[in-house]
Amino acid sequence: MKKFFMPLVLSMFMITTSCTKSDSAKVKADGSLEKVLNIVVGAKVKGFDPNQASDRYSGNEVARIYEGLLQFHYLKRPYELVPNLAESMPEVSSDGLTYTFKIKKGVMFHDNACFPNGKGRELTAEDFVYSIKRMADPREQSKGWWLIDGKIKGLNAWKEKSGKADKTDYSEKLEGIQAIDKYTLKFVLSKPFPQFLYSLAMPFTYAVPKEAVQKYGKEFINNPVGTGPFITGKYTQANKIVYTKNPNYRDEFYPTQGAPGDKERGLLKDAGKKIPLVDKLVVKIMTEEQTRWLNFKKGKLDSMSIPTEEFANVMIPGKGLSDSFKKQGIVERKVVGLDVTYNAFNHEHELFKNNKKLRQAMSSAFDRDSYNKKFYQGVSLAAQSVVPPNIAGHIMNFKGPYQNFNVEQAKKLLSEAGFPDGNGLPEITLHYTYSTKSRQMAEVFQQNMSKIGIKIKPTGVTWPELVKLVNTKQTMMFSMAWGADYPDAENFLQLLYSKNSAPGANGSNYSNPEFDKMFEKAAIMSDSPERTALYEKMYKFAAEEVPWVIGFHRVTYGLIHGWVENSKSIEFDHGMAKYKNINMAKKADLLKKL
Amino acid sequence: MRKERSLWSDAFNRIVKDKISLISLIIVVIYTLIALLVSMGVIASDWQEIVGPEYAPPSAEYWLGTDFLGRDVLRKTLYGTKVAMSVGLFTCMIAIPVGIFLGSIAGYFGGIIDEIVVWFYTTFSSIPGIILLISISFVLGKGLTAVYIALGATSWVHLCRLVRGEVIKHKNRDYVQAVTAIGGGHWKKLFVHILPNIFHIVIINASLLFQVAIKSEVILSYLGIGVQAVPSWGKMIDDARSELNNDVWWQLFGATIAMFFIVLAFNILGDALRDALDPKLKGKES
Repeated sequence: MKKFFMPLVLSMFMITTSCTKSDSAKVKADGSLEKVLNIVVGAKVKGFDPNQASDRYSGNEVARIYEGLLQFHYLKRPYELVPNLAESMPEVSSDGLTYTFKIKKGVMFHDNACFPNGKGRELTAEDFVYSIKRMADPREQSKGWWLIDGKIKGLNAWKEKSGKADKTDYSEKLEGIQAIDKYTLKFVLSKPFPQFLYSLAMPFTYAVPKEAVQKYGKEFINNPVGTGPFITGKYTQANKIVYTKNPNYRDEFYPTQGAPGDKERGLLKDAGKKIPLVDKLVVKIMTEEQTRWLNFKKGKLDSMSIPTEEFANVMIPGKGLSDSFKKQGIVERKVVGLDVTYNAFNHEHELFKNNKKLRQAMSSAFDRDSYNKKFYQGVSLAAQSVVPPNIAGHIMNFKGPYQNFNVEQAKKLLSEAGFPDGNGLPEITLHYTYSTKSRQMAEVFQQNMSKIGIKIKPTGVTWPELVKLVNTKQTMMFSMAWGADYPDAENFLQLLYSKNSAPGANGSNYSNPEFDKMFEKAAIMSDSPERTALYEKMYKFAAEEVPWVIGFHRVTYGLIHGWVENSKSIEFDHGMAKYKNINMAKKADLLKKL
Repeated sequence: MRKERSLWSDAFNRIVKDKISLISLIIVVIYTLIALLVSMGVIASDWQEIVGPEYAPPSAEYWLGTDFLGRDVLRKTLYGTKVAMSVGLFTCMIAIPVGIFLGSIAGYFGGIIDEIVVWFYTTFSSIPGIILLISISFVLGKGLTAVYIALGATSWVHLCRLVRGEVIKHKNRDYVQAVTAIGGGHWKKLFVHILPNIFHIVIINASLLFQVAIKSEVILSYLGIGVQAVPSWGKMIDDARSELNNDVWWQLFGATIAMFFIVLAFNILGDALRDALDPKLKGKES
């Protein structure tokens, strides 16, 4: 078999070597080498409208161009909000409803044809008023409306009124969001919303200039004009997006403080230096894992996650990264995701509605250990309830009563549920997003359930189809994962809140008055030991209730070439490329070894 | 004096006399038997059972090794045989009546009916097959039934064309005119007299259609839009994509060998049938 493929491999090798030569770094005017960061994205990027940035891939691209009031600190953990376009953290009134921001002076939009003479103008508080209103404009159909729905005073009424009017009137003054003067912005909330500041770090709320939206209209999504550290031209839905450094970027500096251990890892070497540190970003869109892998191995990509089928060759059990990669200066990095995977029940389906025992039986019959070994190389964490570790509300060392693989217990629960050995149970359809790996995952679940007599019919569909099936409540069970929008347990617990039922985030339509009561209470509490205690109570409640067959908090491994500096994994990777650096001497050296 | 034989017994004799054709016929019979036994639950019904370690190579214990879960690849292959054969059978059962009916009325009546049918199949066949299959399976939902219907609905065109041509050729022949002379109606002429005379074309086509359907099912399942929840050769090949990197070849081997023999057998049989059923050769020694 191997011999058969040799000629192919050889010829490919020759083509790529000849390419690398012509590919060498450009020399800049001042004699130094141009620093280019090569980033890979595994899925199509929709475009550059913050309003439409509902998936991670589009959000990341939006954040290279646009900026928000706040951002997460690049190095500090636990995650901490720091000002971005805001001059400092806001003043908050004692009732927690009024937030007053001072915004930075002298922040300029990118030069663009939408401005008079093509020169970018200064950003003012009005731009934020406009951008937040734009999220509520019914004509824009923002994907981020849920984030601020019912929370900013007067905004819902304005949205309703605009929907009835022929044209959206942006000039109307609202109490909830006002520009006091050129550099002062005031928010008034209609009810306490402790996660409000987090929402100001999400791409949905980033500042867009009115001129660009008016000039480009429907094409605004392809014509990015922001204040951010990088600039790119018109987006043509190509497989490559090239960004150049914004020459007029304001004075922003690399953080001088980090988490413990960052200094030793060399993450503070550039402390205090002006950012961005690289001259160019090249984002390559490659949907096939094999293509990404070959490009990474040739040094054409700076980092990527290890392909599943290569894992055994890359990471040697008990030893870590294999020597052949170490010799090439490649380093591995463990990424602990803030997420949870699950096979959800549709609680509006007769079968699962009030059948806690059946749900508990299925959860007990799921062998998470061998699943972990098979699909996550055994490094992911079997979830005990819905909240991932590293955020308040997760309980360390807590064991969910039905999260442990126990066939005997499962069989017992199943017969208590009225289906001894699965008799009387219909075949249960499990919808999942099709890929080879997710099909195999569904097959393992099917196999596990067959052990206690439950018949599962895994059915693969496309992602848009799955979303539609879930939103219209047409599933019996479905596979999904939820990644954090911000580091707060509320973002996970809301998945079980009955008012968020489909088409909201609670696709399982789980509804429990007791849980709702706790959630409503916690949702308006600010961070405090009492709130954490309440979160923990809900965490345990969910573990007992088994609203889904809860799966894993995923842990993955990435590989990074040795020439990339200041690389730290961050769950909220919005615009963080501005901190990265390339060691050109090292790159020239290491490229020879590839 | 030689005994008079019917076209069919003559054809059968021709096929069994040719060794390769005979072997092909036997292969088809064996596959059919396997499919029947699987349907009745006699063999491979326990394909979900974990029989050994993951990725065990072929051995005396597991003839075709095991897959990523430790399931027996041989059982999956056998179960896949049932899926493939049933897809072939049902596709033929849908496509052949449609093809015969539309082809014969178009050829026989001509005129506006002919134009409508020709327009219909020309339009139909100008849509790329795999795209049509994908869209049909999206509309009908996922599963084996959708595959039957999707393949049946897309594969009648070729037969329809052939039947139309043959009917046009036959409809003015002497024997048909003789039927007209004794007062036979359109349907009598068409179905009682013309059709039996062109039926060999249908048989040959069925044999070829059968293997095309099997191949299409494999492609659909490989792409994830074919059969769900049960093993299929296409899904086994899909699994093998990542397995080959780690020198796990047996799942690919099992699926492709199983597919290879049945497709080859049907192809050879199709050829042999064409020779055997040609009415011009009737009565001659081959």
